[in-house]
Amino acid sequence: MDSAIDAELARGLSEVVGESHVRTDVGARTVFGTDATPLHRGMPDAVCFPASTEEVAGVVRVANDLKVPIVPRGAGTNLSAGTVPHRGGIVLVLTRMDRLLELDVANMVAVCEPGLTTSALAEAAAGESLLYPPDPGSRTVSTVGGNVATCAGGLRGLKYGVTRDYVLGCEVVLGTGEVIRCGGKLVKDVAGLDLVRLMCGSEGTLGIISELTLRLVPAPEGSGTGLAYFDHLADAGQAVSDVLRNGILPVTLEFLDATCIEAVEGFAHVGLRTDAGALLIFGQDGPSETVARDMERIADACRAQRAIEVRVAGTADESARILEARRAVLPSLSRLAPLTILEDATVPRSRLAEMVQRIEQIASRYELLIGTFGHAGDGNLHPTCVIDPHDGDTLERVEHAFTEIFAAALELGGTITGEHGVGLGKLAHLEGQLGAAQMALLRRIKSAFDPAGILNPGKLAS
Amino acid sequence: MTERPIFTPELLDRCISCGFCLPACPTFALTQSEPSSPRGRINLMRALQEGRLPDDDPTVVAEASFCLGCRACEPVCPAGVHYGELLEEWRDHEWTGRRRPWKLGPLLLATNRRWRVRALGLFRRHARRRSGSGPHLMLGCFERALFPHVSRQAAALVPDASVTPKQGCCGALHAHNGELERGRALARSLGEDLPGMILTTSGGCAAHMAAVLGRDRVRELSEWLAGAGHTPRSPARRLRVALQDSCHLRNANGVWREPRALIEQVADYVELPSASTCCGAAGTYALLRPGDSRRILDRKLDEIAAADPDLIIAVNPGCLRQLRQGLRRRRLRTQAIHIAELLTSHQDNDGSSPADARQDGRVRAAPG
Repeated sequence: MDSAIDAELARGLSEVVGESHVRTDVGARTVFGTDATPLHRGMPDAVCFPASTEEVAGVVRVANDLKVPIVPRGAGTNLSAGTVPHRGGIVLVLTRMDRLLELDVANMVAVCEPGLTTSALAEAAAGESLLYPPDPGSRTVSTVGGNVATCAGGLRGLKYGVTRDYVLGCEVVLGTGEVIRCGGKLVKDVAGLDLVRLMCGSEGTLGIISELTLRLVPAPEGSGTGLAYFDHLADAGQAVSDVLRNGILPVTLEFLDATCIEAVEGFAHVGLRTDAGALLIFGQDGPSETVARDMERIADACRAQRAIEVRVAGTADESARILEARRAVLPSLSRLAPLTILEDATVPRSRLAEMVQRIEQIASRYELLIGTFGHAGDGNLHPTCVIDPHDGDTLERVEHAFTEIFAAALELGGTITGEHGVGLGKLAHLEGQLGAAQMALLRRIKSAFDPAGILNPGKLAS
Repeated sequence: MTERPIFTPELLDRCISCGFCLPACPTFALTQSEPSSPRGRINLMRALQEGRLPDDDPTVVAEASFCLGCRACEPVCPAGVHYGELLEEWRDHEWTGRRRPWKLGPLLLATNRRWRVRALGLFRRHARRRSGSGPHLMLGCFERALFPHVSRQAAALVPDASVTPKQGCCGALHAHNGELERGRALARSLGEDLPGMILTTSGGCAAHMAAVLGRDRVRELSEWLAGAGHTPRSPARRLRVALQDSCHLRNANGVWREPRALIEQVADYVELPSASTCCGAAGTYALLRPGDSRRILDRKLDEIAAADPDLIIAVNPGCLRQLRQGLRRRRLRTQAIHIAELLTSHQDNDGSSPADARQDGRVRAAPG
């Protein structure tokens, strides 16, 4: 971009949000050129921090006038390079819009601005004995707006669903600068198309979310946690199926493969058995009698499927220690090599063990270290590859391996991404899943929302 | 531009850019600005290392200096980034020539030779020479001049500690301010002056010495006393007492339960919401950036005003100085004292208590 337009851009943005909320220094632009995704980097021309819907709309109008891209950004914790400004333009940061506007206990909804952190929302809800269930790993940092734009998941997906299941309404600034409101506080509302649903996972390509109305549920009375070791992941998978067929819907069903167990024990020393082939962490919430009964039944189901050891936590401390093992997986794996690549291919629950086996075969064929952990309840896997990117053709091998992993997921009836989003990272694999006709439809939808093509261009359907 | 070895590559590679450090960072809390967060600063460091940004880039220069160096980002980092070491390497590279803050010169000069450090405490009554079978008491550099009673009280609390005036600065000051090699050399030389276990009343020095000499050679006073089962005399009247953690003591050496446990033995402990976050003293920060230092402290002073404790305890001389200045400026009734001072007032046998001392407008120093 030439410097005349640069100056005009800075001036235009300053008029909308105020000079102190625009950054054009190369240092700040460098910092906002990345998110939490390795290997992807862009360089925006400006970064701006609006404080209201009107300011967001003003920024969109400036971008329209100058024909520069806008990349909306929350906390920049996404793992698919969805907020990387690879075509330059404006990074529009929504963290100043972080107010909880209303906690409506009577209707069990929260109304908030997009920059509110997920944890802050959950804590506010908890203060009224309510639960905001989506709990992505980054919840202490991530913003609710970012969660909706990527349709973030979390550990409670099977029982409580994902972010999209909690969005009742939203206010959106379209690519034209027009502001629309869709949905609201109503559980039932069929007036018009379900644009709220369309915004979930739209990755900033259709509009900029400027306000959200979110559904809350009653907070469960208590919870319990346990673990089971198996020789084979397939046995753990069968145990999970048996549990569900017996009418129990656990809140937590997390698994670690042998590589992950070894990495966690090697680094965090939480007392895991490294002779096991798989670890299943299970949990239930609800009234205390139900929790106790369900925990016992899940334990029984694991034993019936040849679990080599089963333990149900007796105290809150013990529960915390078990969950610690799950939280330690990513950090433990990441310490094995300089670069960590975390993916989220997902398959139907019944194909989980098969998929993990496929990943193991692919990893050994390309001589890569890939540990797989994830959500056994909803089939959402996190194959995690740790590499030294400077080591010969490693990056090339990683690319081939993940291409095969995504193909295997599709073959088993799955998806290339369960909860991280497509972003730049998986864009090349999207058409393989959706097909040409659907890609063309997505492009037509995109151009209806954003005729000038300025909203996060080059991602999803643009 | 090409890759330059400013940073140890393994230290830079550790960061996975997850952003978990953002909520822990005081300068991010103040500005809500990504470049003023640990993740943002590591991005700047990477750009420097890869030659994408020049040394004199204004944002790079500003952020290297705006960072408090409190290392609150380290305990919350899932990937185990050694941010403190990266910052030392950054300032070692950045703070040379004209980019070095001019106020640093006299400070670092005053403490870079043993005789100069001794001169700082020449006319002050720090702990007197004695030999014992226990640890070697470190007298500190600026603590000798500013708070000489602290070493006297520490010596009273640890009767078997050896004291020798023949000791210099530990070099934490240098390591944190762009003279990394000298900072390490000073620590090694202090380690020779004080063989065996070193006992210090300064959390910041404890962390630096632990990093250079090894964790098992260094104990901060509260850590030592808690480990030795120190039991102070029960007071007639229990004061309400708050604590300001030493950032490096907590975030690098993992010592934070110990001072709380000791305070609880003699007083009603009040945990301030920001007890574990930086008070803005941050070594030389209060001198180099007084405005920002005050902005950081102001939030804490609000909390102190609201909780209204009788005392606030420091475990590091820099924090003590910072808190005293802030409390005086706001005219709050709370007094800031070192933990050695609190504990000696519950050790001596002349019947005085901190409550009496408070009425005198000062807290009584134990005989040293």
